[in-house]
Amino acid sequence: MMGLQVDMQSLIGRFMVWAKTFRGSITLLSLFGLLLVPVTGNVYLSTIIVTAMIYSIFAASWDFLAGFAGQVSFGHAAFFGISAYFTAAFVEFVGVHWIVALFIGGGYAIIFSLLIGIPCLRLKGPYLALGTLAFSLIIWNLFLTGTWLGGTEGISGLPRLGNIFVVFYIVASFMVASLIIMRAIVDSRLGTILKAIRDDETCADASGINTTTYKLIAFMISGFFAGIAGGLFALHLTAVNPAVYQTLYSFYAIIMAAIGGMVTIYGSVIGAFLFTVLSELLRPLAAASLLIFATILILIIRFAEEGVMNPVLERLQDVWDLIRRR
Amino acid sequence: MIEEILIYGMVQGSLLALLALGFSLVYGVGGILNLAHGAFYLITAYLIYWILPYFIFIDNYLLRFGITAAISLVIAVVISAVTYLGLMEPLKESHIGIVLITFALAFFFEQFVKFVGDPKTHFIIPFVPGTVTFLGVTFPAQLVALVVGSLILVTLVTLFINRSTIGKSIRAVSQDFEAAQLVGINTNMILMATVMISALLIGFAAVLYAPGNFIRPNMGWRYLLLAFSVTIFGGMGSIPGSIAGSFIMGYATTITDFLISPTFSVIIPIVVILVMLLVRPQGLLGKKELY
Repeated sequence: MMGLQVDMQSLIGRFMVWAKTFRGSITLLSLFGLLLVPVTGNVYLSTIIVTAMIYSIFAASWDFLAGFAGQVSFGHAAFFGISAYFTAAFVEFVGVHWIVALFIGGGYAIIFSLLIGIPCLRLKGPYLALGTLAFSLIIWNLFLTGTWLGGTEGISGLPRLGNIFVVFYIVASFMVASLIIMRAIVDSRLGTILKAIRDDETCADASGINTTTYKLIAFMISGFFAGIAGGLFALHLTAVNPAVYQTLYSFYAIIMAAIGGMVTIYGSVIGAFLFTVLSELLRPLAAASLLIFATILILIIRFAEEGVMNPVLERLQDVWDLIRRR
Repeated sequence: MIEEILIYGMVQGSLLALLALGFSLVYGVGGILNLAHGAFYLITAYLIYWILPYFIFIDNYLLRFGITAAISLVIAVVISAVTYLGLMEPLKESHIGIVLITFALAFFFEQFVKFVGDPKTHFIIPFVPGTVTFLGVTFPAQLVALVVGSLILVTLVTLFINRSTIGKSIRAVSQDFEAAQLVGINTNMILMATVMISALLIGFAAVLYAPGNFIRPNMGWRYLLLAFSVTIFGGMGSIPGSIAGSFIMGYATTITDFLISPTFSVIIPIVVILVMLLVRPQGLLGKKELY
């Protein structure tokens, strides 16, 4: 009991120190600003930001697998879709509470990540990418041609979790929790092992790390969080159809993680918000919107290889230091 | 039945060979996973569709189509060179960067076609009219042009890679990038040439296969997936592997089409790929080590 007390105190102390640093204060300020969004009472804005937050979890889960474990997957939509489907099915057909259904969906995503992960373990680089892509395409086609779980129409008419502002806070808490957990995993011993595997698999193997087990663990964690994102997506839209499996979603995750900055976890949030807000802002331009969107995407990828988050934060920090010196 | 499988398998195989050869070449030489590969099929097909009405004054359709196809191919190859120099070359070092930029590029071309033209489906009149009956099977004569054209092109490219100076440089770069640089090969130019050859090959696939078939803005992805699967099947970067792989895949798809069901033939190649990845990840004739 005593030990826990001390631990708590040291944790709070570390948090206070972190909150006073530049990054800490920026993060807390943005989080505070984010939580104030529903107070404005703007339903449209809240809906967009809920979508962006769901995408952040999804993109962060991809970043976890690709950035830290070095396993580039082109089939992340499979985890997203599986969990969306099972969450919806358990709410609709079994009638369990949505939070139970969400974790059941996440569990199914873990099972599928094992199903995909075990056969694809031997593969590397483009082979792994195509292997995961093939799996997600097969699942997509199975749901498109099959008649189970609603067939082509999918499942619709799930009960709403509440009005959009309630959904906002639910999704926000899930996002914050998922990101903190993923960051904590990455900074822990497990994270170090995964980075070792990413940097040199042979060396990691020679150092006595069971690379197979750890790569599977990475797949499972990533699949679980992608699944949580998918379940939230289904609950937010109150419907799912086979389109959740489309390859486009896998690439959305990759693009969002890359825009924000890979190997950061938090960068995914920036990427997801930029991505969603940008596509929403361009919507009034109708036919030209996606063309402009694609152009901006090319420019960001071409000229910001590190992602947007870290360079911008460094600039800001310079300005911050200047102000503080005065 | 057997005659049909033989003929349509040949047709599928020739199409796949044109699609996959360039993709495999670019990956083998530069390690570039070109997700915009299918987009070059798309733009060549649409360029033909757009330019064709400008030459309406030429009465002979074959001649009109030939001129249009030549112009479209030149534009497509120039676009490929420009995109290589402007977008792919600076990001060559990072594997994920090249994947992202080529994906964004493919997305851009799809939206460009939708914006400039329209999202509807279009039809290009085949330049070889009529049908041919061979071994008791009647099929469009355009397909004969596809098979013959594909055989000629694949032979030419293989000869070019094996005999010409540029071809030898291409092989040198694919074997050892740094050593090739040391002996004075301009690796950048060689990579650009490879990307241009791949665009030319898939452009020819569009010239030979798009007429007589419907074209729509999102078709690039299907051809990309076909090229990707055949390349993995035959072995990344191996030219004989890609050719053998495309004919095996072509026959496999046709057999599923005829014996099981056409709805399954979409999914069967993917299953074949998956089995291949699990049994022999380096592909039919690929190099032993991966990466």
